[in-house]
Amino acid sequence: MAFLAPLLLLGLAALAVPVLVHLIHRERDQLIQFPSLMFLERVPYRSMRRQKIRHWPLFLLRCAAFILLVLAFARPFFTSATAVAGALGGGREIVVLLDQSYSMAYGDRWARAQAAALREIDALGADDRATLILFARNAEAGARSSIDHASVRSAITRAEVGVEVTRFGPALKLAEGILDVSEVSDREAILISDFQKNGWAGDEGIAFAEGVVLRPISVADADTSNLSIASVSFEREPFSAGEQVTASARLVNLGTNDATRVPVTLELDGREVATRSVEVEATGTATVAFDPFIVGEDQRRGTVRIGDDLLLQDNAFHFTLSPGQLVTVLIVEADAPNPDSSLYLERALAIGSTPSFVTEVMAVSDLTADALVGRSVVILNDTAPPASAVGDALTAFVENGGGVLAILGERVRWPSGAPALLPGSFTAAADRIGSRGRVLGYVDYSHPVFDVFNAPRSGDLSSARFFQYRPFTVTDPESVLARFDDGQVALAGHDLGRGRVLAWASTLDSYWNDLALKPVYLPFVHQLAKHLAGYVDPTDWHTTAQILDVASLYAASGHRLEPDRDDPVAVSPTGDRLPIRVREAAVLFELAEQGFYEMHTSGADVDVPLAVAVNADRGESDLTMLDPEELAGAITGRAGAMAPGNLVARERSPEETEGRQGLWRYLLVVALLLLAAETVLSNRMSRVART
Amino acid sequence: MSTHEHPLTPGASFVDPAVLARIGNLELLARTIVDGFINGIHKASYLGVSVDFAEHRGYMPGDDIRRIDWRLYARTDRYYVKEFEADSNANFSVILDVSKSMAFSSGGLSKLDYAKYLAASLTYFANRQRDRVGMVTFDSEILERVPSSAKHLDVVLHTIDRAVAGRPGQLAGPLFRMTEFFKRRGILAIISDFYEEPDVILDAVKRFRTQGHDVMVFHILDPAELDFPYDAASSFEDLETGVRMPIVPDNLRDQYKQLIDEHTSTLEKRFTEHQVDYAVFNTSTPLDYGLFKFLSARERMIRIR
Repeated sequence: MAFLAPLLLLGLAALAVPVLVHLIHRERDQLIQFPSLMFLERVPYRSMRRQKIRHWPLFLLRCAAFILLVLAFARPFFTSATAVAGALGGGREIVVLLDQSYSMAYGDRWARAQAAALREIDALGADDRATLILFARNAEAGARSSIDHASVRSAITRAEVGVEVTRFGPALKLAEGILDVSEVSDREAILISDFQKNGWAGDEGIAFAEGVVLRPISVADADTSNLSIASVSFEREPFSAGEQVTASARLVNLGTNDATRVPVTLELDGREVATRSVEVEATGTATVAFDPFIVGEDQRRGTVRIGDDLLLQDNAFHFTLSPGQLVTVLIVEADAPNPDSSLYLERALAIGSTPSFVTEVMAVSDLTADALVGRSVVILNDTAPPASAVGDALTAFVENGGGVLAILGERVRWPSGAPALLPGSFTAAADRIGSRGRVLGYVDYSHPVFDVFNAPRSGDLSSARFFQYRPFTVTDPESVLARFDDGQVALAGHDLGRGRVLAWASTLDSYWNDLALKPVYLPFVHQLAKHLAGYVDPTDWHTTAQILDVASLYAASGHRLEPDRDDPVAVSPTGDRLPIRVREAAVLFELAEQGFYEMHTSGADVDVPLAVAVNADRGESDLTMLDPEELAGAITGRAGAMAPGNLVARERSPEETEGRQGLWRYLLVVALLLLAAETVLSNRMSRVART
Repeated sequence: MSTHEHPLTPGASFVDPAVLARIGNLELLARTIVDGFINGIHKASYLGVSVDFAEHRGYMPGDDIRRIDWRLYARTDRYYVKEFEADSNANFSVILDVSKSMAFSSGGLSKLDYAKYLAASLTYFANRQRDRVGMVTFDSEILERVPSSAKHLDVVLHTIDRAVAGRPGQLAGPLFRMTEFFKRRGILAIISDFYEEPDVILDAVKRFRTQGHDVMVFHILDPAELDFPYDAASSFEDLETGVRMPIVPDNLRDQYKQLIDEHTSTLEKRFTEHQVDYAVFNTSTPLDYGLFKFLSARERMIRIR
């Protein structure tokens, strides 16, 4: 126990006052004349001065009240939380928020953070309740409001640094919820972190309740130096049967010292193939380009590494390179098509490498079921499918995941026996030649076909004029993806089985509109084909905590996962086997580790191995810290006052501690109660004495 | 005890009829031989006329022939004279302490008033049996002196009336000087509260005994001095010296009472050893009761002797 005003304890010397009052009190001033003090003087001095206390209860009450008063004015406080709990009872509600983002692996931050957390737990009283929240991007609480401090301690000891970035929001929100429901008055959240600036946006909208304390304990270092591989870019060029890829790594120096002779190494398939030495200025960047390498039919794994520094997680950058994907498109024309009706389509699909489109044009009378095999997309260019086995095969093609684009031009007739693929019905062509034509008035930019046009200056779809179109009536209004400015449906689509069908109410040549002459034509056609083919752009790397759609991953590589047959197994970078159940079209899987995940289809006849490169989010590489007191002030609404530079675990000032504990109030109350009891007792004794 | 107005004789108010009525059938007899001038009730220091035969001696010329024992002459054919014990009156003096401590009173009579009653009663009583009465008052010095005389009753009573306790007292010095006054053996009644050491008191009183006086010592104490009835812590002030002392009586009472008991016991023992009659008079005790008791005991002792 300590005191804010220890000098006031000298007032305890005045304890003699009640003693004298007790011994002499009201007769103190009374003078008795006595014939001679001859005999009184012979009585030993000691026995005369140390008189017997007659009313012990009164004496003790007065002394105790006085001692309590002096102690109260001396402003006592407990330096140990255990003592606080022992003295006040009732316990406290403590939430320890421990940052386990990967920046905490910098130097000995994690060890210091663990030690700080353990200190807080060790300081708890038996009645105190503690909750441990481990957080990075997300927050997770163990046993809430637990008095089993040993388990919390064990959880802290077992915790490890993760690979995710810092986000204070979720953790503080979780702590707020826990502390809000607590019935204890003494509530405190202890935030142990390196307080990276990136972790706090300021608009999280978290405000602790009145009386709840947020105590930041910073384990950040005053000076930091960190060299990070921010990204690796690839330049692909067709080469022979594959691609020639040139990898370039961008290095960022986030420290205040220049990094010299930094070895940058490129590994491919586990073998080191090139090393460069670079110099990166403080707070500067540098780009390292490696010699080109070939990517053939097989997927290649690569890693760019730099030398070790205090933060290892961002010193390696993993990637995978897959051969370019092919989307096979079958364009089915009417038996007597307009000249060059498929010319624009063919030309547009001939351009591009991600993916590359392989197109084939075929008359509808030549269409067979075999012709559909291996196709990703079938474009019915101004024609309807035959009402025969071929038509059934086309329906089956769609239901098995294929895509069909029906271009409704002037020749198309959809007989009753033809497959019911369309999301609605159409009528005779509407002629808008007399006017200035129609433009696209409504586009569903949230649809994958149009999302690339959503950004500013990414293509003006309204620049095309439509002079003729087929009025299309949809069966489901939700299927409309675009409308003309007169409200008529321009594009509608729906899913059929596992495949997709789109109906375009005009043509994709230059007969009914001038879309083919507009710059947006090519990306529009590519988007239509990619959507219908279910194409997903191959991703060279992912970041940790990202949710991976395994089905899309396999689809991008040209494989389709069959439910209950192709259940893949993911092997994590640390070697754990993680089975993945295929139940629906989207199979989601969280990437929790940095490195390469290996996917195998265990149930398939042929194992299709795939590698997924996962890198830690580079947002965590920036170790710039925010002011912990500012954060605490923003959360609690009370401005903190921490001396600048005090970045190590901040202890409460004695004034704060005393203010929070407020022991003097309890002492004062007890002292007043004692004085009241003394009054009652003395009155009673006085009455008894008089009688 | 009640007081009565006697406007003609100052000090007569201290002669309480109730006291006198109680001790009226007693005699204040000298325990020793006293020197007197007339026949009285006391044994004189010489042989004289009385009914008590003392001895025979040979006739000497000049002897009164009426005192020749003719019967013895007849048997022995020699002249013998019969000697008889002489009875005498005595000098009775009261030595009254009027020091400041005698003014103390815990509620009733002050010690000095009580002593005045005692002195007046004894003087009156002695005068009534034809003793010569005198008086000396003292504190640290001798204040007033009334030589013993058969006619000095009024003067003594007047002196008693005027006695006021005002100054600190001392026993040894004044009593030593008084030995000069009492050349003739007589009866001395010393009335004081005796706040002195027993040895000092005895040394002072012993001189009177050495001179042959019959000494009676009356130790006057207030009940508060005997019982120390105070209960509250207070400052006690010495009446004579003015010294103050904070005292919590509760814890002191037993020790005080023990000390005062030891004091009186010591005095009684030492006085008895020197044939001095000693009596403690509690001012809360009626004077007639105390005096009767004292004189009765004294009379018994004389008869035994």
